[in-house]
Amino acid sequence: MKSKVLIVDDDAAWVKAMLKELEEYSGSFSVTPAYDGKQALEILASGQISLVVSDLRMPNIDGFELLNRVLRQYPDIPVIIITAYDRPKTREVVFNSGADEYLTKPFTPEDLAEKINRLLQKKSEGGSLHNVSLETFLQLIEMEQQTCTLRVLNKNASNIGVLFFRDGELMNARLDNRLGKEAAYEILSWSGVSVSIQNGCPFTEKQLDGELQAILLDAMRTKDESSQYFNPEEDEGKEPETDEILLETPVDNRPKANPGGKTKTAEPEKTAETPRKAKRPASGTLDAGKQAHDAGNVEGFKSALHNEKGVEDIYEDPAWNSLIQQVSSMGRIFDAGSLSAIYLNRVKKGQAVIVPGEQVSVILMNPDTPRDRIIDAVM
Amino acid sequence: MKDIFKDILSIEGVHGVAVIGSDGGMLLSRFSERYKDEEYRLGRVDWNTLIPELADVSEAEFVFERGRIYVRKVQPGLFVTVFDDIAPVSMVRLNCEILQSSLDKFKAGSRIGQLLKKRIF
Repeated sequence: MKSKVLIVDDDAAWVKAMLKELEEYSGSFSVTPAYDGKQALEILASGQISLVVSDLRMPNIDGFELLNRVLRQYPDIPVIIITAYDRPKTREVVFNSGADEYLTKPFTPEDLAEKINRLLQKKSEGGSLHNVSLETFLQLIEMEQQTCTLRVLNKNASNIGVLFFRDGELMNARLDNRLGKEAAYEILSWSGVSVSIQNGCPFTEKQLDGELQAILLDAMRTKDESSQYFNPEEDEGKEPETDEILLETPVDNRPKANPGGKTKTAEPEKTAETPRKAKRPASGTLDAGKQAHDAGNVEGFKSALHNEKGVEDIYEDPAWNSLIQQVSSMGRIFDAGSLSAIYLNRVKKGQAVIVPGEQVSVILMNPDTPRDRIIDAVM
Repeated sequence: MKDIFKDILSIEGVHGVAVIGSDGGMLLSRFSERYKDEEYRLGRVDWNTLIPELADVSEAEFVFERGRIYVRKVQPGLFVTVFDDIAPVSMVRLNCEILQSSLDKFKAGSRIGQLLKKRIF
């Protein structure tokens, strides 16, 4: 399956020229254009995008905001930021914001293609497997306590799911614009898949409840339930599912299931598609955070943010009342409405978000946590 | 002298910027014509009470129902940016960070307001 690169820039003439120039690389990847951040998010939600190239300055949703949304909803998709707005600090801020690469305009199509190809190759740096029994393979990952990002291609439906493992634990899963258990169940219920392995995992904290075995069992149950949609006549004479695995690029220290596997390609199976559930936000954090904000209590934030990466502590501290009063008064002077939150970056004590309410809630974050994720969650 | 605030003021949704001295006085301000009244409003804020509250803070962001105020500690005091919800927040922060080194060069205690007004505008 050829990788699809999304190029986002409000300069339509530049995009057109770049599309033409990059045709030369159509053997490695195809290019889809978007002319603002909103359109880019719509295309991303439809799935299939492997990499994003985005300008920094765009109307409405700019490059930073787009990068922030990609990191949150599509953490496995690399982002290259391009800009004519080059200042000494820009590169540092762009990388600190989570971008994978940075290019200053003007650049040649070759410069861009080289960076795209390098990032795309990274996605399968750990090798590729075909005709995999996913259950067996994942159990090996768990047993060998691997840290990796697996891209699982469902050959029947031509869609790609992503599984994130850290030390053998399934941390999260993504399918199209869905993150979490629902995505994991659907991916794990696929049969006859190909897998590409990337070293590393963007999640440091587990976002999925439950052990891999339990999730696998639930997924198998989903698969069994969906099998009622099978047409038994179509299944007649079908080859039994094989556990043979073809390892295309063996890598040391990586689980090698059935190393003697041949290059045999299984006949495409006619599986019934798992009925899709209604789409829901990638994480319940935002809604739950808002509810906690409305309720104005610490317990609400603890429950809403317990899975949020980088949150170190949440507690009540009325000592901040004086600052809240000062800032609220500033809001009245500016006719800006009520105070929703205060973000502080403290020299000695690090980042904190303070939320006014019946109880003053303090959310402490580690220094690497993007503040917008927490601010958005509590508003 | 080059207008160092040109970039940040050209960002959509940014109303204006100001530097508040460590004594609470406004050293300089620059607001777009449409939001000139906010320059006056900023002068009404009790900075003398607020500044000690932010003693250990390198940057702060006050998020309101409608709009935000971003504050960054600089050598002469506080660099304040007022913007509304349509402004790209990360771009605003980046511009403030870029401006920091220029603003840090000015020494506190001098008649910086007059000086900056003469030199910058």
